[in-house]
Amino acid sequence: MEELIKKVNSIINLSKEGEAYFVSIAREKSTPKGTILIREGQAVDKVFYVTSGCLRSYCIDKSGKEHTLQFAIKNWWISDYIAIHSDEYATLTVECLTDSNVIEFNAKELNGMLTLFPEYEPFQRNLLERHVLSLNRRILNQLQLTASERYDLFLKQYPDTEQYARNYHIATYMGITQESLSRIRVEKAKK
Amino acid sequence: MKALQITKYGEIKDSLAFNEVSKPTVQAKDVLIEVKAAAINPIDKSIILGNFQSMMPISFPSTSAYDVSGVVVEKGSDVNNFEIGDLVYSRVPQEQMGTIAEFVVVISDAVSKKPGNISFEEAASLPLAGLTALQSLEYVGIKEDDKILIHAGSGGVGSFAIQYAKAKGAYVYTTTSTDNVEWVKELGADRVINYKIEDYKTIVKDADIVFDTLGGDYTAEAFEVIKKGGKVVSVVGSLDEETAKMFGMTDYKLPEELKTLCEDKEASYKFIFMHPNGAHLGEIKSMVEDEKIKPIIDKVYPFSESIEAFAHLATGRAKGKIVIKIS
Repeated sequence: MEELIKKVNSIINLSKEGEAYFVSIAREKSTPKGTILIREGQAVDKVFYVTSGCLRSYCIDKSGKEHTLQFAIKNWWISDYIAIHSDEYATLTVECLTDSNVIEFNAKELNGMLTLFPEYEPFQRNLLERHVLSLNRRILNQLQLTASERYDLFLKQYPDTEQYARNYHIATYMGITQESLSRIRVEKAKK
Repeated sequence: MKALQITKYGEIKDSLAFNEVSKPTVQAKDVLIEVKAAAINPIDKSIILGNFQSMMPISFPSTSAYDVSGVVVEKGSDVNNFEIGDLVYSRVPQEQMGTIAEFVVVISDAVSKKPGNISFEEAASLPLAGLTALQSLEYVGIKEDDKILIHAGSGGVGSFAIQYAKAKGAYVYTTTSTDNVEWVKELGADRVINYKIEDYKTIVKDADIVFDTLGGDYTAEAFEVIKKGGKVVSVVGSLDEETAKMFGMTDYKLPEELKTLCEDKEASYKFIFMHPNGAHLGEIKSMVEDEKIKPIIDKVYPFSESIEAFAHLATGRAKGKIVIKIS
């Protein structure tokens, strides 16, 4: 929790009262590997900040196959933001790929920070900006880069995640088949 | 709900009918699965023909088939390992037979989450054949560098067994006919024997294991190709004494010929009667997600053409599994 407060205070100066409230709405949780934090088709009111471990959000297509949208490692936030902001049921599932530690926030309570403690707003905006940037980058990378280049980026963006994620998690995140991912890995190993 | 039911023993076209039946209700340990896909196997055909009526009698009408994939939509009070919305697959137990229907109730111990990287149709194709192969090869303790002969490599059980044995690091001989040689090779078999032009008995020598999926003369012939101390495991041959006891046949004795063959080769013989097992399906899920096993599908039929699917099964010419897409 301390680390998250430090992160917040590296961007804004949260008042003592604001900090106390922030801590009061945060719930630190240990989540074993395989835990489902958000389940497709159910109501969502939580966002999660990862303090250790590795999580994944994915959707399931009509044929029943999973497609990874995002991985979340230390210092990342994860939720189903479409569901939260549109007040719809989850279209994503969020699962823990490893034993993880997260800080859970109720999305409404976290949003309440904005009215109760206006100095918190730049932090929220910063988060949102980074989220938008990351999504835009992901789309552009998908359009502009080769699969091999996207794999390099994946390794940089999610260090060590390869150890926890199954091949199909990574392949579907990159939008390629498992065979292609194996080929890319073999080619890289040769270099 | 709509279901494909067996109305009497006999020829497929005379014995199957689509009926409106009531949606099954869950008991404490059950989950209710909204069926997305079902798969059919030779046993389903044999049940319709009445071949198992003394061993596994069914009442009429009974909904057909055992393999299923779908979504958990309801669960009993004692079910802790599944949640509503879980995508699952199963080989349902005999008493819960009936997967060619909009819903099926299954004891949760026989259910596993489905592999995440394959479709419902592919997942439905795996349970019965996969469990049969896995339980047989696990029983004989297949390990790296074992030499194994797997009969009928293009069948549902054989094609799974080849991939499973290769994943364990074994050297795989398999038999198949000319049309199937190429794709069976692609499954990873080290030596594909085209039984139409080659005699497998002159090619396979000193095998550690023979996986007998054909029965008849092939069971006895297995002892010609195994090494001294080898293992023969069968899913269609004679019962062994231990398995017979399990079925209450306490006076059963292994046929004299088999007994002598075992003694001569200091070999073991085991009949495997596949049992539904969610934990084993969990193992298969991991192997599929790691691409050690790939489902092999011959054809997917819509629900409305389920009877045609059975007719296709009856030809015995399917290369891989026959699947029925329910919803």
